[in-house]
Amino acid sequence: MRVTVCFYSYFKDLTGCAQAVETLPDGSTLDVLFHQLMLRFPRLAGMQKSTLMAVGVDYQDRTCVLKEGDAVSLFPPVQGG
Amino acid sequence: MKRQLTLTTEPIDEPALLAQRSLSDGMGAVVCFLGVVRGTEGNASIRALEYEVFQRMAEHQVNLLFDQLAQRWPVESVRLVHRLGLVKVNAPSLWVEVVAPHRGEAFAACQWLIDEMKQVVPIWKKPVPGDR
Repeated sequence: MRVTVCFYSYFKDLTGCAQAVETLPDGSTLDVLFHQLMLRFPRLAGMQKSTLMAVGVDYQDRTCVLKEGDAVSLFPPVQGG
Repeated sequence: MKRQLTLTTEPIDEPALLAQRSLSDGMGAVVCFLGVVRGTEGNASIRALEYEVFQRMAEHQVNLLFDQLAQRWPVESVRLVHRLGLVKVNAPSLWVEVVAPHRGEAFAACQWLIDEMKQVVPIWKKPVPGDR
């Protein structure tokens, strides 16, 4: 399956892009996706503990099972205000 | 509960926001909070902050917070305005208004909303170095 991944804030600098498309085995979780992304974008490895993840517009933890066409977002802790 | 969220690159127009206020006869408290950009970030001088948003998610998350706020306090209305893009030092970046029957719940709801917003609403700021 294929999922779209969007990066926000300085994650765009770490990856060098705002968006990527990843192909994953069916039934993959966000954790599997993140490990695959670390291979492609090694600078993400330093952000493992602080990365927030969303599918669509809702936060999800790393056990979340993805499905074809999901829009995943990865970003650092938020800083509004 | 009436609710209004504005995410905008335009300056926050306080007089216009105050002119748009409406409250019923049972309301006894209006709490307004204005957040402004500080001239330092850590120990470094900055001239502005650049705000970035994940708009659809931010709108969704703020509405979830509004839902929770309505369940916890008897708030009649809440309005939240957040600046995006470049905001210079001393300029407002955040304006929040809570209208409630009494000051205790108005203060508590306003404080809670801002604290929660800073935890879950996907907005980020990047310091722009330099003196004003």
